[in-house]
Amino acid sequence: MRFLVRRLGFLLVALWAALTLNFFIPRLMPGNPAEAMMARFRGHVNPSALSALEAAFGIGKHQSLISAYFQYLGNTLHGNLGISISYFPIPVSTMIMRALPWSLGLVGLSTVIGFLVGTAVGAVSAWRRGGKLDAVLPPTFIVISAFPYFWVGLLAIRLFAVTLNWFPILGGYSETAVEMWSWSFVGDVLMHAILPAFTIVITSIGGWILTMRNNMITVVAEDYVKMARAKGLTPQRILWQYAGRNAMLPSLTGFAMSLGFVISGAILVEYVFNYPGLGFMLLQAVQNEDYPLMQALFLLITVAVLLAIFVSDIVTAVLDPRTRVRS
Amino acid sequence: MRNKFKGGLVATAFVLVASTGVMAIPAVVSSSSAGAATQVPLNLANEQGELWSCAFNPFVPTSSPYSVGLTYETLDFVDSLQSGKVTPWLASAYAWSNNNQTLTFTIRPGVKWSDGKPFSAADVAYTFNLLKKFPALDVNAVWSVLKSVAQKGSNQVVFNFSTPAVPYFYYVAGQVPIVPEHLWSKIKNPVTDAISNPVGTGGYIMSHCTPQNIQWTANANYWQKGKAVVQTVNMPAFLSNNTCNEYLATGQSQWGSQFIPDIKSYYVDKKAGNTYWFPPVANVSLFPNLKVAPLNNVAVREAISYAINRQDVSTKGEFGYEPPASQDGIVTPTFSSWTSSAAASKIGTGYDPAKAESVLKAAGYTKGSNGFFEKDGKEIKLSIITNGGYSDWVADIQIMAQELNKVGIDATPETPAANTFYADVYAGKYQLAYNAESGGPTPFYEMRQWLYSKNSAPIGTAASSNWERYDSPAVDTLLNSYDVTTSAATQKSIVSQLENVMVTQYPVIPILEEVDWFQYNSKEFSGYPTKTNPYAQPGLYNEPDWGYVLDNLKPLS
Amino acid sequence: MRRLRPLARALAGAYRFLRRDKKAMAGSIILFILLVIAAFPNWFAPDNPAAENFRAGVGPSWHHLLGTTSLGQDVFSQLIVGTRQSVMIALIVGFFCTIMSVGIGVTAAYMGGLIDDSLSLLTDVILVIPTFPLIIVITAYVHGASFWLLVAVLVFTGWSYGARQLRVQALSLRNRDYLLAAKARGESSWYVITVELIPPMTSLIVANFLSAALYAVLAASALQFIGLGNINTESWGTMLYWAQSDEALQTGLPLWALAPGVAIAILGSALALLNYAFDEVSNPALRPVSEKKMKKRMRKMKAVA
Repeated sequence: MRFLVRRLGFLLVALWAALTLNFFIPRLMPGNPAEAMMARFRGHVNPSALSALEAAFGIGKHQSLISAYFQYLGNTLHGNLGISISYFPIPVSTMIMRALPWSLGLVGLSTVIGFLVGTAVGAVSAWRRGGKLDAVLPPTFIVISAFPYFWVGLLAIRLFAVTLNWFPILGGYSETAVEMWSWSFVGDVLMHAILPAFTIVITSIGGWILTMRNNMITVVAEDYVKMARAKGLTPQRILWQYAGRNAMLPSLTGFAMSLGFVISGAILVEYVFNYPGLGFMLLQAVQNEDYPLMQALFLLITVAVLLAIFVSDIVTAVLDPRTRVRS
Repeated sequence: MRNKFKGGLVATAFVLVASTGVMAIPAVVSSSSAGAATQVPLNLANEQGELWSCAFNPFVPTSSPYSVGLTYETLDFVDSLQSGKVTPWLASAYAWSNNNQTLTFTIRPGVKWSDGKPFSAADVAYTFNLLKKFPALDVNAVWSVLKSVAQKGSNQVVFNFSTPAVPYFYYVAGQVPIVPEHLWSKIKNPVTDAISNPVGTGGYIMSHCTPQNIQWTANANYWQKGKAVVQTVNMPAFLSNNTCNEYLATGQSQWGSQFIPDIKSYYVDKKAGNTYWFPPVANVSLFPNLKVAPLNNVAVREAISYAINRQDVSTKGEFGYEPPASQDGIVTPTFSSWTSSAAASKIGTGYDPAKAESVLKAAGYTKGSNGFFEKDGKEIKLSIITNGGYSDWVADIQIMAQELNKVGIDATPETPAANTFYADVYAGKYQLAYNAESGGPTPFYEMRQWLYSKNSAPIGTAASSNWERYDSPAVDTLLNSYDVTTSAATQKSIVSQLENVMVTQYPVIPILEEVDWFQYNSKEFSGYPTKTNPYAQPGLYNEPDWGYVLDNLKPLS
Repeated sequence: MRRLRPLARALAGAYRFLRRDKKAMAGSIILFILLVIAAFPNWFAPDNPAAENFRAGVGPSWHHLLGTTSLGQDVFSQLIVGTRQSVMIALIVGFFCTIMSVGIGVTAAYMGGLIDDSLSLLTDVILVIPTFPLIIVITAYVHGASFWLLVAVLVFTGWSYGARQLRVQALSLRNRDYLLAAKARGESSWYVITVELIPPMTSLIVANFLSAALYAVLAASALQFIGLGNINTESWGTMLYWAQSDEALQTGLPLWALAPGVAIAILGSALALLNYAFDEVSNPALRPVSEKKMKKRMRKMKAVA
């Protein structure tokens, strides 16, 4: 119980520190959003309109950094995330809610699939050491995971989407689709998701396989596993309920962590596949100096990662009592 | 155990793939059947690097390109490719009076808003006074020169200028979209209203918007009979250039505004009728910081101008798509009639490395042992910055740096991220900056952006244009004299004098001519602007031009 | 001298092992070749990679083994010269990341209490900072992302993940008997950490180094690919950036786009193979048992039974 309270307290302090950093990072960047907008639309805004734009975005008025900081904290706690500048005048929360399900859906699901399949393959290949599975799969996927992600993505598009025409070239769904819960829309979404998901899974699965395999091998060599075998327990039971449970520890903590990084990790996927998610929105927000959107996305990432850390610590403590002991 | 486990895995995978395939079939069927019912839709290829926000407020630069011209119209159409030729649009006629300080428009009768209500002069007066009430909406800064706008009689609107500003005709008549009073007077804050269902007088109504695609349908009650014939228009959102170009190459999009490397093999050869035309519209120039040594020495600037082989920069950096610019600042062939022969003959071809070296020597510079020019122990060492996000501009400055190095000027290219670059350019924190102004329907607009001292600002404060900090009271007076006249002859003479300034003082060094990116298939739709009929700018990011072009397109299949 | 014996033993074992294991051999050879290319690019590159002197956009030929770029540069020379940056980033970032991860993670786990709390807080906060915006902010001040800037940012954002991992591992080792015995003998904390606690974690530390190196290569090339690196320098990431902007794949210059990707993959695979092999050095249970030895052992057991 005390452990839980300590971790929670920890989480809150880290959250506050990260929020403060997230407030200052955008403001350290040179220029301001109005100039960024002028630059983007240099064909269509009369150059002397800079002050009009600054007025529209509320940057002209001079507010002390301290009062802006407290206003930011207050607004954030109330859920008021402001109006996006690059998507002016749509509010930030609207833009985020539109994109969130796509990032979570694609990258989140792909991570889960990669983890489950990779861990299972790792466990099995460790159990059947020296077998064909162990000789082929782990090294192959290790090598594939060393490929740069975006390069694999571009090749996949060129081969499967353009040359073979099996899958759509880009997007989360086709242009003419109507966003509603019908089988045709769901099917459309799945067709668009297969290629990016496939690319994510094959480039990340190597890591899961290796982690699980190596830990599994170590665990299998331990005395209690020999004891279980001697006692006559079925191999299945030993694999999944005794050895597997203990071997999974590092994988689980790693998995919890990687869930936290789903959003920032999505940047390259979304860039290459034109996927309507948050990662690319973050990159654009930074390049356009869209303070409100940037801060909201940083907040989201911060909360996600810290929660992931918290969960991973809890999971570690539950599964490995040794980490709970204080000296 | 092993077989059961593996079997389970394989079975799951099979079910997933199979169900996906089954579910996908209805999607394929439904989308194709929707298209086959009526005319083939026109799909556009315009990469903006972002998803659509589905806001259509015509006064906000982030959303106006998607409603101005197609849904909202302006008083007149001003053609930037024909030196500002005026075609009546919502106004049937206009007249200057009172020493060019009053402009009266006669408003066309018989026009309806897309919700059925009648359009009138009252809407025009309302629109302009709305801009006065909410300055954040006045992105063209028309109220910096207007004194009053009022309806006169049943069908006229009178604009009184506080100071003669004839060039502002382009902004007042050609850039301000007219909005319906009966709807906008009910909006509490038009600055932050997204206007998700725009109602206008134009040929196209926004019918469906998702972050990935905007769809417009032709206005069945459009006031121009025989126009807005194409029924459905789609503009998908693209996050990167490559995916957008793939759409053009595979024929999924028929009208694009893309930079396509090696366009012949990538696009033209792929399908019969694939064509492109890149009309030059403004200059991409080196802006020397005139407040910084040694760029404050005209000899150094002249040497830089002669040292650069503009044709080379064009061929290698831009695949030859952007023609070399001229030091006199006139974009040809678009504005060829404005070129002053005196200025042109002074410059010659514009490339003369021997002359560059002799100019520097005459100014007291000597070549050091390392091959670089120096004076009083100080070497000419310059950095060229440009927008790191534009790979073609990056290539351009790398080529230019090499050519300057060959002549004996030590130049280094730097490519900061976009926002850093613009912040530095606006604040004057650079030595040489490679950038472009927006220009306008005649060469005057760009030159005024370059040379008018009031556009500028002290080093450290953001200037919206005139980033090189050029300051000449004589030139200011010359520029102001253009504002009071409507005579084409006077205008041309003033521009000739400005060209002379360009070739004697080298305040800005134009390198290449910026073009509108434009590719289309001529066998699927007709009516596009062409070299022989440049009736509007063809880029999909020009408002109101692209809406104007859309009104004129006709399907051929 | 006596204190270093466990370390020396581990290293000797490592060397013997590398000679035996196929994966380790493959990984080491590849890495060695890349190191040589990185150190002496002029031995291999026929032309100046930046010189735009050749005919643009030609396919492979004897003079240009991988063809030329759209600007007329030799792709093969660019690939060779670019090796240095990628190899250096991998090794340097890997090295510093590991030092910091080990230092902070192990210290936090061993010291416990307030030190653990504050170091863990630091680790978590750094972990949360997004890399891309950080690099944009920093490059804004230094006017261009130089090599050392990239290294600094990658180290700064990269060490925290490893620190967490090592901390967890150290925590589970901390209460083992031999450590308590050392403490009871009166050895200093410093001795216990460096001589007793770290060596058993060697495989994890080396794994950390190798994965940090891999992370550095992939992250650096990703940043350069998006255009956030220094576009002037020669590196595999910037080659991909240019190939992408000039649409190499689509305009009939596929080698230009494929070669740098394959090169990154080769470096990454070498690191990954070594990682894979290194797990087996300090953890004998992971070492592969040859079929012949297995069968011999089985026969012996049967004979005895």
